Amino acid sequence: MAAVCAASRVLGRKIVSSTALPAVCQTSNRKLHFSIYGKRGDAKVSDAISTQYPVVDHEFDAVVVGAGGAGLRAAFGLSEAGFNTACVTKLFPTRSHTVAAQGGINAALGNMEEDDWRWHFYDTVKGSDWLGDQDAIHYMTEQAPAAVVELENFGMPFSRTEEGRIYQRAFGGQSLKFGKGGQAHRCCCVADRTGHSLLHTLYGRSLRYDTSYFVEYFALDLLMEDGECKGVIALCMEDGSIHRFRAKNTVIATGGYGRTFFSCTSAHTSTGDGNAMVTRAGLPCQDLEFVQFHPTGIYGAGCLITEGCRGEGGILINSEGERFMERYAPNAKDLASRDVVSRSMTIEIREGRGVGPDKDHVYLQLHHLPPQQLAAHLPGISETAMIFAGVDVTKEPIPVLPTVHYNMGGIPTNYKGQVITHKDGEDMVVPGLYACGEAGCASVHGANRLGANSLLDLVVFGRACALTIAEINTPGEKLSPLKPNAGEASVANLDKIRFADGSTRTSEIRLNMQKTMQSHAAVFRTGDVLKEGCDKMDSVYKSLDDIKTFDRGIVWNTDLVETLELQNLMLNAVQTIVGAEARKESRGAHAREDFKDRVDEYDYTKPLQGQVKKPLEQHWRKHTLSYVDPKTGKVTLEYRPVIDNSLNAEDCAAIPPAIRSY
Amino acid sequence: MALLRFCCTTARGFVKRGLILQSTYTACPGTAGYASGVTKDKEPLKKAKTPQGRFDMEETESKSKDVLERFPEDVNPETKEKGGPRGPEPTRYGDWERKGRCIDF
Repeated sequence: MAAVCAASRVLGRKIVSSTALPAVCQTSNRKLHFSIYGKRGDAKVSDAISTQYPVVDHEFDAVVVGAGGAGLRAAFGLSEAGFNTACVTKLFPTRSHTVAAQGGINAALGNMEEDDWRWHFYDTVKGSDWLGDQDAIHYMTEQAPAAVVELENFGMPFSRTEEGRIYQRAFGGQSLKFGKGGQAHRCCCVADRTGHSLLHTLYGRSLRYDTSYFVEYFALDLLMEDGECKGVIALCMEDGSIHRFRAKNTVIATGGYGRTFFSCTSAHTSTGDGNAMVTRAGLPCQDLEFVQFHPTGIYGAGCLITEGCRGEGGILINSEGERFMERYAPNAKDLASRDVVSRSMTIEIREGRGVGPDKDHVYLQLHHLPPQQLAAHLPGISETAMIFAGVDVTKEPIPVLPTVHYNMGGIPTNYKGQVITHKDGEDMVVPGLYACGEAGCASVHGANRLGANSLLDLVVFGRACALTIAEINTPGEKLSPLKPNAGEASVANLDKIRFADGSTRTSEIRLNMQKTMQSHAAVFRTGDVLKEGCDKMDSVYKSLDDIKTFDRGIVWNTDLVETLELQNLMLNAVQTIVGAEARKESRGAHAREDFKDRVDEYDYTKPLQGQVKKPLEQHWRKHTLSYVDPKTGKVTLEYRPVIDNSLNAEDCAAIPPAIRSY
Repeated sequence: MALLRFCCTTARGFVKRGLILQSTYTACPGTAGYASGVTKDKEPLKKAKTPQGRFDMEETESKSKDVLERFPEDVNPETKEKGGPRGPEPTRYGDWERKGRCIDF
């Protein structure tokens, strides 16, 4: 603006008369509903924590951390109910990882054939391998049609049938009539960009309400006092100031932690910040050992190659050029099920027959197939291979290895979205704290997530958090007093990292952690491999004390933020591997070579008559709750029983456990 | 916004002082033909080529690079789905496939 005015002054004195151009460039006097510089008029600066880091205090009715699908839904649900809401996010809302979801949302709308949400309930309970809490699953599947219709009313452009109803397609794991009626068509999508469209629809809708967005604010810690959550402390990345958001209700929707592994499909920003914040507050995280893998992800890039490649005739080869799947699955060969393929690949790599300079991946060969066949059945694959792997798929093989793409575990909540802890055999609600989305674990996914249920999980539980808060609180309530130096420890940690002068860089420690997790806590899990991994992770955790950062500034210090993210990742990683080592069974996504079966309270392969029910300590159909001591990295595990009853037994009968077979 | 207003006023300022040829002024779409109320042949606005000319792509070139063809009127002929994903059915291999890439949600 100033440059234009200067230019006009230089050029325009002779050409443009002074009446044609306004004398002063007018600033916009439209009142924007979100603050641009992060400091609202009623925010106060205090130096109660430290004089070097002046802290800005804000007061709100509710704070939402994270602005992906779940965070946005919670934020504007709260604003709609009249609460003064702040949304603190380290990324711009439309850049959250939800945008990468291409698939659809499951809902029993019954547009393609007759459908009932109780059948969807059954499919989800079975998919979770009976580790999902059935009351939460009941809530989610019952609300699903209403949630999808609500999204469509917000303007999300679902694809349609000829009559104009939402088009639903078939997707894995969905059946009719409790598994006996064949494939169900329940997946609603928006061309091939459902997540992108969902996020943009929610963001656009949220701008109607009066939510205050604090974009590019990195949430450091929760402000806990007497076991109650009183807000969040965050670092404004833009100018380096510290902000304390005091609120009676805090909702965590920070997403998953894919980046603990070397090969993952998640964005670089999926660092499990919410899980780590909760861990540092002394609260447990649930079921972190359940991580979903996909066998063929491109090495380095992390994109997944479809299983259709193997279906069309692609083969996996090791460094000796051998088609190794023939040894592991003589009949099915490369078409064996996902977990068999992933495990075979990992065994080959562990035994030293991997390819590449580090010998840590295998090749997927497609160049023996006629190029026209490839182009006809898999259009676009040559483009994908060139862009992400840099190979010409008609001449060279694609480097692949098993890749993480979803975390089932997270912060334990009840079906309403309230965070819970487990004391003396009872679930206790933590007042003031809520969690939803991939960060939360109301345990609808249990031990294995069905595709297309994750986007549903976001919107249903985002809305549930907003509804619960609206039910319990009223807008404008007075906040309980907070110690003036609350959050001091977080700022001290920040200061320590900012001036850290050890010997190892952040990137080296992070790579060590990722490689350790990939080789020890990935698909192939056995007792000694996991134990070795636990010890290695322990030493990697301790190496955090020796970290070295280079940027000493405070304005947009990405070195500092990456180190904070590394601390968060490390907490998630140790809980994952220790939890996996302790769980001595195979259930859903957690598959162990030495304990191949599920260990439940009864043996469900035989009739239940005459069987004695095992007590909780002797079987594994229970949730893992893990705590970490942040100073030493020591993990303690506790367990909590699965909720087996649905919300309303007449409406929807609970499904008793059985053997899961498809 | 203010910048555009400035440019507009500058252009008119130039014209008023006769610094721009009269023909260019009449070619300006803002006034040519419409004021008289006569319907003219709809001429598409021609984008002026950049000086080098090589950054401008031909219309056809970008379309042929698109591997996945658009359906006529965006309706999939087999499933009659309107507004659905282009190309073969993404869920045909049991996961969500597009351009060889699997997006497992």
